Amino acid sequence: RFKSSTVKECIHTILMEKLANVEYVPEEMPQLTKSLSEMIKDRLKEEGFDRYKMVVQVVIGEQRGEGVNMAARCFWDADTDSYAHDVFMNDSLFCVVAAFGCFYY
Amino acid sequence: MEGDKRRTKEDTWKSEELRKHLRTSEADSKNEDQKHREKKLQKEKSVYDTDTHKHERKDRGKSKERTKERERFKSSERDRDKMRERERRKEHQREEDRVRYKDKLHESSLEKERYSISKGRESNREQDKKHKRHEIKQIDTQDNLKSFEGRDKEHHRRRESRHHLEEEKKRSKERERRHTEKKDNDTKKSIDKFLAYKIEEVERVHKFQKDQELDKERERRHRENKEHSIRPGKERLSKERSHKHYEKDEEEKHKSKRSREGSSHRDREGQLADVYERVKSRENERTRRDLRNSEHKEEDKIQEQMSPQHVSRTVRDKGQLIEKEERDTRQEEMKNTRIYNSDTGFDDFSANYEDDFEDYEDDFEDDDKSGKERDAEENLSEIPFSRTSEIEEIRRAISAENDRICTSLPKKIENETKEPVMERQYPSVRNSYGGIFMDFQLANQRQSGRSMASKQKKRSSELLPLIDLDFSVSFSLLDLPPVNEYDMYIRNFGKMNTKQAYVQCNEDNLERDTQTEEVETLEKWTQHPGKSAIVSGGPTTNQDISVNGTPTPKIDSQRLTNFLRSACRVIAVLLEEDQVATEPRWQQRSRQTSLSISDSCFQLNTNQPFLHDRKVSCLHFSQVQRQTLLSVHGLPEKASVGLLNRKSIICVWNIWQPSSPQKVLICDSEVICCCFSPNKTTLVFAGTTDGSLLVWDLREDSRMRLQMMINGIDWTFRVPTFSTDGILLSVNHTSPILAVEPVSTSLYTDKNYGLLSLSYQEEMSGPPFQIASMDENGTLNMWVVIELRKVDLAGSQTDLGLVPGGKVKLVHSSTMELSNSLFPKDVHQRMPQTLTIKFLSSDPNHFIVGTNIGLVGHGTRNGLKVLPKLFRPQESRLRSISISAIDFFPFGKPLFLVGCSDGSIRLYQMTSEYPLMQWNDSTNGQPIIALQWALTRPAVFFVLDASSNIYIWDLLENDLLPVAKQTVPSENVVTMTLLGEPEKTNGLLGIVLAKESGQIDIQYVKKKWALPQPEECEKLHLVLLQSF
Repeated sequence: RFKSSTVKECIHTILMEKLANVEYVPEEMPQLTKSLSEMIKDRLKEEGFDRYKMVVQVVIGEQRGEGVNMAARCFWDADTDSYAHDVFMNDSLFCVVAAFGCFYY
Repeated sequence: MEGDKRRTKEDTWKSEELRKHLRTSEADSKNEDQKHREKKLQKEKSVYDTDTHKHERKDRGKSKERTKERERFKSSERDRDKMRERERRKEHQREEDRVRYKDKLHESSLEKERYSISKGRESNREQDKKHKRHEIKQIDTQDNLKSFEGRDKEHHRRRESRHHLEEEKKRSKERERRHTEKKDNDTKKSIDKFLAYKIEEVERVHKFQKDQELDKERERRHRENKEHSIRPGKERLSKERSHKHYEKDEEEKHKSKRSREGSSHRDREGQLADVYERVKSRENERTRRDLRNSEHKEEDKIQEQMSPQHVSRTVRDKGQLIEKEERDTRQEEMKNTRIYNSDTGFDDFSANYEDDFEDYEDDFEDDDKSGKERDAEENLSEIPFSRTSEIEEIRRAISAENDRICTSLPKKIENETKEPVMERQYPSVRNSYGGIFMDFQLANQRQSGRSMASKQKKRSSELLPLIDLDFSVSFSLLDLPPVNEYDMYIRNFGKMNTKQAYVQCNEDNLERDTQTEEVETLEKWTQHPGKSAIVSGGPTTNQDISVNGTPTPKIDSQRLTNFLRSACRVIAVLLEEDQVATEPRWQQRSRQTSLSISDSCFQLNTNQPFLHDRKVSCLHFSQVQRQTLLSVHGLPEKASVGLLNRKSIICVWNIWQPSSPQKVLICDSEVICCCFSPNKTTLVFAGTTDGSLLVWDLREDSRMRLQMMINGIDWTFRVPTFSTDGILLSVNHTSPILAVEPVSTSLYTDKNYGLLSLSYQEEMSGPPFQIASMDENGTLNMWVVIELRKVDLAGSQTDLGLVPGGKVKLVHSSTMELSNSLFPKDVHQRMPQTLTIKFLSSDPNHFIVGTNIGLVGHGTRNGLKVLPKLFRPQESRLRSISISAIDFFPFGKPLFLVGCSDGSIRLYQMTSEYPLMQWNDSTNGQPIIALQWALTRPAVFFVLDASSNIYIWDLLENDLLPVAKQTVPSENVVTMTLLGEPEKTNGLLGIVLAKESGQIDIQYVKKKWALPQPEECEKLHLVLLQSF
C-alpha cells in the first residue's frame, strides 16, 4: 500500500539534506532536479512498494515574491493509487516534489 | 499477374488485419489461439524472409530465380488472401467440402499423414524422377523413425501402427481419388498451377473462418512448406551429419514430449475413432445436405445442421487443442530442420516446386471440381447468405472459444509453460548454425514479446472491469501567494544582518554666505510733535554693554553719590559766581560797601521772604568746613508769615553760594547759640531760651520735612531731629542755654578730620563726641551723641524727643554745677553768672567760663582742681563787669583773649592767674561785643564794639593801641565772626558782619593784616615776654 505519510517523510528528509543551503542558480537547477528526482525515486523503491509504479516529479523555482500555484490531477484508481507531495522553501528557491504511486495489477 | 497481385496485396492484408481486429475486439479471450496462429504465420514469413535473405547472400547469381520463387511465394500468399475473399462467397457451398476435408485432416494425424503422404508421394516421385535424393531423404526419415523407434519402440510403434491403420483407410480413399484425378491433372499441369494455388487458398480460408481448424490447416501449410524445403534439403549430403545430429536432438525432445503426450495420444486414439465415426455420419449428413442445398433449403436448417456440427467440433476441439499444440511444437521442430534444408538445397527447388503443387492439386482437385460445380449452382442464390452465416459462425466460434478459455485455464497455463520450452530450443538450434543467429533471436523476441503482451492484454482486459478509473480530485501541490510590497521590502532591507551602504552627498546641506554686516537694531520711542526737549528716547540698557563684552563696572553707589554731592556743590558754586558776574547791580553794591580795612566785600542773600524782619543773633563757622556758616535768625519783630511766625530759623550757608541758604532749620523756641558737630557738618546743635537742646541732622531726606512753596521756590524747613525739650526733666536745663560747645575726644585727630572732611563727611559714625551745653545758672550738661542704626518711621516709644524717621539722639552724660564748683566762696557770695564757656582745643578736658563779675573760671570736665583756678584782671578788685567774649589762641599756645563789657581787653596765659597784657579804654569805654584772633596771623586779632567799630590789633606792630579802627557806617553791627582758612597761606581773611537789619556782609580784610608774616609766633612770643 502506498502510504503517503511515509513517502512524504522520505521526500522531506531528502529535501532537507540536499537543499538546506542551496542558492538558486539557474544553470544548476536542471541537473539538481534530475538528481533529486532520481534520488527520491530510488529511495522510494527501497521503501518496498513492489507493486507500485512510481512517478516522481520535482519542480524547483526561484523565490522572487511572485505567486505560484501548482496543482495536479490524476486519472487513476483512487482505491489503490495515491500520491504524496512535499514543499521545501528556501530564501532563494522553492522546491515542490510530488510522488505518484500507481498499482500494478 | 505479378503486378496485379502486388496491387491487391495491400488491400487483402488490410482486410485480413481488419478481420483480426474484429476478432480481437469481439473476443479477447481468443487471443491466444489467434496469436499462436499469427505467430506461426509470422514465423513462416520470417522464415521465408530469412530464406530469401540468405539466398541473396549466398548466391546472388541465382537471385533471379529466387526472386521469382519468392514472388511466387508471396504471390501465392497474396493469392491465397485474394482467393480467400473470393472463396468466402462460395463458402457455404463448400462447407460440405470443407467439412469433409477437415474431417479428413482430423482423421489423419499430422505426422502420420505427412509421413505417409511424403512416403506415398515420394514413392511416386521416386519412381518418376529423383530416386536418389528421395532415398536419402527416406533414409533420413527412416533413420529418424528408426532412431525414434529404437529408443521408444513400443510406444511409437503401437501408435504408429494404429495410426497407420486408420490412416491407410483414409488414404486409400484419397489416393484412389487422387490417382484418378492425377491422370487428368497431369495433362493440365501448367494450366492448373494457378488453380492449385486457389485450392490452397480455399483451404486456408476455411482455416481462418473456422478457428478450430486453423491449426490443422496450418500444419498442412507447414507441410507444404516442408515439402518445398524438405526435398531440396535432403539433397544436400554434406550437411547430413549435422542434420542427423540435430534430428537426433530433436527426436530426443520429441520423445520427452511424446512421453508426456502419450496419454493424450492414447486418449486421442479413442477420440479419433469416435471422430472417424462421426465423420462418417457427417459425410452422410453432408450428402444429405448437398441434396438439401441443391434443393435450396433454407438457411435456418443449415444453421441448425451446423450447430450440431459446431458442438461436435467444440467437443473435438478440446481434444484437438492439445493435439494442436503438440503438433505445433513438432511442426516447429520440423520446420527448423526443413528450413535449414531448404536453405542448403535450393538448387532443385524450382524443379521440385511444381511437383509440390502438383501434389496439392492432386489433393484438392476433386474438391475443386465439386466446389466449382456447386459454385455454378449455388453462387447466385447463396452469396448474401454465406456472408451472414459466416459472421454468425465467427461469432459462435468466438463465444465458444471464450467459454472454453474460461473453463480451460489450466490448459493455457500448460501452453504458457510449453512455449518457453520451445523458445529454449531455438538458441540451441541457432548455436549449431551460427549463420542465422540474428533472425531467430528476433523472431523469438518478438514471439515472447507478443506472448507477454497478449498476457498483459488479457490481464488488463480481465482487470479493467474490476478497476474503475476516475478523475480523482485535483491536488493542490503548491499555493504560494505573491509577496506584497511591504514584505518584499522587509525581506530585502528589514533584516538585522543586512548591510546597507549609505552614500551621503550632503546635497541638502546648503550654505549661503552674506557679506553684509548684521544690522544693529535698537528700540526707541519718538514723540510727535516734540513738545519738550526730549522728543525721543528708549532703553539704552546694560544689555548693549554686556553684548559688547565689556563688563559693567561695579558702581559703588555710595561713592557715586558722594562724588555727585560734592560735585554738585562745586557746580553750584560756579553757577553762583557766574550769577554774581551776570548781576552787576548786586555785585556793585557789595563792592560799594567795602570798608577801609577790607579789599572787597559781598553779602549773603538774606533777602528771603522767611528771613524778613529777623535779626541775626548768632553767626558760627564750622571748624572743619570753613566755608559753612550758620546764621541764627531770631523771631521777627512783626508777624509776617503765619506759619513761620513763631519760629526761629537757622540758615546753613555756603559762603561760595551766597544767593541762598543751603538748608533752613526751624524750631519753636528762640535759639541763642548754635554749633556744628566737631568732625563733620552733618549735625547742627542749638540751645534755646527755654533750656532745650536741639539737634538737626542735615543728612535727613528733605521729603520727610515740611516743605513750603514761597514765591515759586521750594523751601524745605527742617524741624529738629532730636529735642531735649520736655524730656529728661531731672537733668535738663531749666534756664536759657547760653552756650553749646562740641567736645571732641581728641583735638589732634580733629585736624585729620579736617583734611579728610570730604571723605568722612557722610560717614554714619565718626568718632564719638560730646556736646556741652551751659545755661545761665551755671549748669553744664554733657551729652553723648548717638546715631541710631535703625530708622523707625513710625516714631520711637522710648525716645520721645526723636522725630519720626530720625537717626540721631542725645543721651545725657553728666551734669556739672559750675557756680558751686568753679568759684571760691568769696566769689560765690557775689552770685557770679556764667555767660560764656570755651573748651581748650588742645585739651578738651579743660574749659574756661566767663562770668559777669569780671572773672574767668577754669575748670575741667572730670571736676579736678586745676591752677589757676581763676583768671583775674590786673586790678585785683571785683567789679561787676561781664565777660562778653573769650577766644583761644588758634596756633597752639595756651593763650586766650577776653573781652569785657567795660571795653577792656585782656590777654591771658593758661598758666598765670593774671593777664599778660591788658588794654583798657581802647574802645573808649564801649563794650566789646565780639573779639577773635585772626585765623591766618597769630599776632592779629579783631575786635567789634557795640558802636559798630571794628578794631584791628597787630601786636607785632603796636602792642598798646589797635593798628586800625573802622566804623561800619550804615547800620549797627550785631555780631561779627571771622572767615578764613588757617591751613592756606593765600591770605584770604574775611569778616562776617551781621547787621541789625538782618544783612550779612562779608568783608575781605586787606592783605597786610591777612597775610602771615614770617616767624610771627616767635615775635609774638617775644612781645609777650617783653610785656612782663
